[in-house]
Amino acid sequence: MIKSAFGILVLLFSALLFADSPAPAPLVLVHPAVTVDALTPAQLRSIYLKRQVIWPDGLPVQVFVLPLQSALHKQFSQTQLQLFPYQLERNWQKLTFSGIGTPPTEVKSATDMLRLIQTTPGAIGYLPFDHETTDAKVIQIKP
Amino acid sequence: MQKLFKSSHNAAGRLLVALCLYQAAPVIASETWHWHGYIAQGLMRSAESNFVNNDGAISAELTEFGLNSTWQLSNTLRLAGQLMYLDGGNRFQQGGRIDYLFLNWTAISELDWQLELYAGRYKNMHWLYSATRDVAITRPLIVLPQSVYFDAFRDIAVGSDGVALKSTHNLSWGELELNWSLGATPIPKEQSQRVISTLINGKTEQDFVHQLSAFLRPEQSKSQWGLSLLDSDFNYRRVAEDIFADGDFTVQRVMLNWRYSEQDWELSSELFQERVSVYGFYAPGTERTQFGWGAYVLGRYNVSPQSTLYLSHDHFFANKDDKRGHLLPLQSGGMIPSYFGYQRDTALGVSYDIQHNLRLKMEYHWNTGTGRLGPNVVPDIVVNRSRHNQLWAMQLMYWF
Repeated sequence: MIKSAFGILVLLFSALLFADSPAPAPLVLVHPAVTVDALTPAQLRSIYLKRQVIWPDGLPVQVFVLPLQSALHKQFSQTQLQLFPYQLERNWQKLTFSGIGTPPTEVKSATDMLRLIQTTPGAIGYLPFDHETTDAKVIQIKP
Repeated sequence: MQKLFKSSHNAAGRLLVALCLYQAAPVIASETWHWHGYIAQGLMRSAESNFVNNDGAISAELTEFGLNSTWQLSNTLRLAGQLMYLDGGNRFQQGGRIDYLFLNWTAISELDWQLELYAGRYKNMHWLYSATRDVAITRPLIVLPQSVYFDAFRDIAVGSDGVALKSTHNLSWGELELNWSLGATPIPKEQSQRVISTLINGKTEQDFVHQLSAFLRPEQSKSQWGLSLLDSDFNYRRVAEDIFADGDFTVQRVMLNWRYSEQDWELSSELFQERVSVYGFYAPGTERTQFGWGAYVLGRYNVSPQSTLYLSHDHFFANKDDKRGHLLPLQSGGMIPSYFGYQRDTALGVSYDIQHNLRLKMEYHWNTGTGRLGPNVVPDIVVNRSRHNQLWAMQLMYWF
């Protein structure tokens, strides 16, 4: 009786551990001509909050996002930017309607995201960790 | 300060024109336009106050429309503007206006430091909701906490003509945003009547408004802290048939703000002390200074991806040394009741996104006191005869 109860507890604990293991963070990618190789989370946040609008080499930053309700956008916001999606959206609306900036460009799918990163100078975006990254540069996000 | 501002005000205008002329020709090939806008229409009622109208009827004077554009003149230079139409009943002046029109120069854009300069008509970036308090979709409530976001004063506080600066820094201990601005706002007679008194006939001018603010988000923190300072002078010049004298007004505000965000809920708060000094105006040679206090706490709860609940409590004292307003009847010969010395507002609101760019908002306010009903200097004691009043509002808004 005690053994079987212990077995059930172990199974439940394992299931909880498995369920809570976080998915790998989305990849952050830029156009191949962007000279930056790594960013801190704060620097990435500055880009996505549209505070930094020009790369260090003078090229305008072109920010792309997936639909705001998509699971990948939520994961990217929370793991890479350490912001909740509603905070990002509020910031972009503030920029848009006070004139101090423009919102990012929303794309429909990961495929569109990759294509635009490949073809738009200064582009930055994100993709699932196991998505192909041909002709785009993966940026390391390091604290 | 006034002389300094007037010279910088003129210089800003000349700078704006000069930069436009200088930049326009060589960048036509690289110009980039962005267009956005919104439209919102609602109904509201405040039966026992003059907040919406004087007869207490249900009002459709809750119309907001805006259209904005930004033009990227070069990699570092941008022109942005927004036209707006508002109808808010007694709350603010009805009609069209230029909400903002400025030139933005990105002076520094490093990975850990960005510096932006603005010249022209810019929005007030110093409080949590000040930059877009006149844009329906960006406000948490249709009627913001009046202690901080006093509607009768809104058109003066929402932005200014002048110069502004925004500097953002990524530091080892967090992210720091610094804002500075110096400008002034034109005040039409109708606007000054909403703020001062419906009985004035003279001309009101804002000499300058000088503001500074800092926002800090500590590293790994879900909270943000802010401090803002405001210093502003106004003058009133009487006309021949006027019951008021020439007057000068000084308004100074110190404000702290805070915001804490979780996935499903958020709390924000702002509190301030405001010094208001009136020199003359009531009679030549008189001087009156009082310090007001105000604070609100606002909570949001994300019920679902489409719906959000809001709850706020707001508190305002016109005179911190007379929180119950007992001096008002004594100073006015019994004309002004004590409840004009304070205002408390508890509000409950709900927001529902019908589509990703179509939203319905509804809210109810329970008010005690009339200290934040306009006009501010000579209050409306005819309509505002009740210490308690309730307000409801609903608004449908669309944006693109």
